[in-house]
Amino acid sequence: MRRLVVLLAAVAGGLAVVLWTVWPWLPLAKNRQSRTMVIYGFAIVEKTLTKSIFPAFQKKWKERTGEDLEIISSFGGSGTMTNQLIMGVPAEVAILSTELDMQRLYRSGVLKTESWKRLPYGGVMNRTPFIILVRPGNPKGIRDFDDLAKRGVRIVHPDPLVSGAANWAIMAEYGAALRKPGAKEAQGKALLLGIWRNVVSQAGSGRAARTQFENGFGDALITYEQDIIATTEDHVSTQEAVYPRSTILSEHTVTPIDKHIKPHQRELIQAFLDFLWSDEAQMLFVQDGFRSVKERLNGANPRFGVITDPFLIDDFGGWGEAKRNIIDRIWKDEVLKELKS
Amino acid sequence: MKSNDMAGQKVTSFLPAGFLLVVMLPLMILPLAAVFIYALQEGPKTFMATLTTRDALFALRFSVIIAFATAAVNVVLGTYAAYVLSKTRFPGREQLGIILNLPVAIPNVVVGTSLLLLWGPIGILGKFLEPLGIQPMFTAFGVLLAHIFVTFPYMVGAVKPVLDDLPVTYEEAAYTIGASRRQTFYHVVFPALRGGIITGALLTFAHSLGEFGATVMVSGNLRLQTQTAPLYIFSQFEGGNIAAANSVAAILAVISFFLFSLILYWNRKRESKKAR
Repeated sequence: MRRLVVLLAAVAGGLAVVLWTVWPWLPLAKNRQSRTMVIYGFAIVEKTLTKSIFPAFQKKWKERTGEDLEIISSFGGSGTMTNQLIMGVPAEVAILSTELDMQRLYRSGVLKTESWKRLPYGGVMNRTPFIILVRPGNPKGIRDFDDLAKRGVRIVHPDPLVSGAANWAIMAEYGAALRKPGAKEAQGKALLLGIWRNVVSQAGSGRAARTQFENGFGDALITYEQDIIATTEDHVSTQEAVYPRSTILSEHTVTPIDKHIKPHQRELIQAFLDFLWSDEAQMLFVQDGFRSVKERLNGANPRFGVITDPFLIDDFGGWGEAKRNIIDRIWKDEVLKELKS
Repeated sequence: MKSNDMAGQKVTSFLPAGFLLVVMLPLMILPLAAVFIYALQEGPKTFMATLTTRDALFALRFSVIIAFATAAVNVVLGTYAAYVLSKTRFPGREQLGIILNLPVAIPNVVVGTSLLLLWGPIGILGKFLEPLGIQPMFTAFGVLLAHIFVTFPYMVGAVKPVLDDLPVTYEEAAYTIGASRRQTFYHVVFPALRGGIITGALLTFAHSLGEFGATVMVSGNLRLQTQTAPLYIFSQFEGGNIAAANSVAAILAVISFFLFSLILYWNRKRESKKAR
C-alpha cells in the first residue's frame, strides 16, 4: 500500500514536471503562432534594446498589423558576435560596436553589399563619447588624456585585438593628442606610448575592463559615457567621470543581413529599421544615456557631460583608414614594439 | 548505515568528517552557498520575479526538454554501444572504447566548434545542406546533437561495467534452452541492466542540464529560441544582472541535487538487491 502511494506520487510529480515544461508548446488558444525576428547585438546596447526599444516596437507592430511579434536576440562582445555571424548564425539584423566589424561581415560574404551605408546616418544608430573614469576625489589628479601618461598612473584598458571599445579608446587617445594646435603624428604616438606604458591590465571586452575597475583594480579606465550614466543611476559609485577636452564619439552601426531575410519578413525588418531612427526610439536611447544622432534630442538628458571638442572616426578617414594607419601601424607595429623592447 | 554497522568495519567517527567539511567549505560549499545568498539577497519576491521572466522560464524549460531528449537518445545508443563493446569481440574494440570516452577529456568548446565546422553554413558538410534549406546548427536540433556527443560516455560508463560483470553463463543458459539472441537480450540481459540504464540516464540528464561549452558554440545563444539555462546564466552575468543569473543557477543546483539523490537511491536499492 505504501509502495503504491509512493509510486503514484512519483508518477504525478513526473507528469507535473513534463506538463509544466511543454506548456508553452501545447496547442492551446492562447499560444497562438506569432511573428519572429532575430537580432544580434553587441553587449552595451543590450539593456536599452531589450527593456525599451523592443517593447516599444512590439507595441507599434501590434497596432499596425495586429500580430504579436517575438524578438529573438543575443548579445555579447562585438568581435565575438561578428565571429558568430561569420559562422552563419541566421540573424536578420546586426547591431555592432564599430563599422570595422561591419566591414568584416562584408569581406566574409555575410553581407553581399555594404548594406549599412544605405540606412539613415550611414547606419549609425546612436553615439557615446569616450571618457575617463577615476577613483572618487580624483587622487591622481587626472584632468585629460595627457595626465594618463604620468608616471605612477595604473590604467585598466580593454584589449584592442578583441574589443570594439578598445579600438574606440585608442582612437580617442590618439585623436585627442592630434587635435591640439600644430600637433602631428609624432605627438599622437608619444601620447599612446605614455598611456600604454601605464596599462596594467588588458581585459577581453569593455564590459570586462569595467568589472575589473569596479572591483578596485587600477587608477583609471577609458570607457563609454553611456555606461557610467546607466550604472550610476542604480549603484553607489566607486568612481567619478572626467571629461577630456577632446574625445571621440563612438558610433554604433546597424545593418540588415539581407541573405537571412525571407521575402515575407522584409516589411517587418524595414519597419524595425525605420523605427530605430524615429524620434520615439532615439528618445529612448537618450533616456538611457546614449547620445542621439539627432542633435536636437540630446538636450533631454541633463546627465550628458560637456565635451569642448568632440570628433568622429570620419575625421580620420573612416574606420578602414584608421584601422590600417593608426591601430595597426602606429599602435600595434610601433607603440607596442617600442614598449616591449 | 545499518549494514555498515553490522559489517563491523566502519566506526562512527566525527573527526574525519569534520576535517573533510573544513577542507570542502571554501572549495565547494561556500561557493554554492554564495549562489543561493545572491539569488535571495533581494528577497523572495525578487527571486520569483527574476525566475518568472519570459527569458528565464524559456531557458529552464528548453534545458529540461533538451536534457530529456538527450537522455532518451543516449539510453538507446549508449546501451547499444556498451553491449557491443562488452559482449562482442572485433579488432579495434579497445580503440573504439577510448574514442567513445573522449568527450570526457576534450573541452566541450572544441566539440561545439567541430560540430559547427562540420554542419554549420560554412562547414564541410553544411556547405552542401545550406542550399537545400537544411541547417541543423543554431536550432534546437543542433543543441541536441552537441549534448548527445558530450554526454555519450556517461551512459556507456554506467552500463558497460554491469554488462562486464554479468556472468556469461546466464546468457549461455538462455541460448541452451533455445532463446534467440534478441530474446536473450530482452529477457536476460536487459533486466539486469535496468539499474545501470537508469543511473546512466539520470547522469546524462544532469550533465545535459549543465552543459555550456558546446552549447554556446552551436546554439547562437538566441534567447527564446536556443538559449539554455546555463547560457542564460552566463548572459545575465555578462549583463550585470547578478540576481537574475543566480536565481536560475540556484534552481539548477537544486535540480542537480535532486537528480544525484535519485542516482544514489537507485544504486543503494540495487546493492541491497544484490546482497539478498
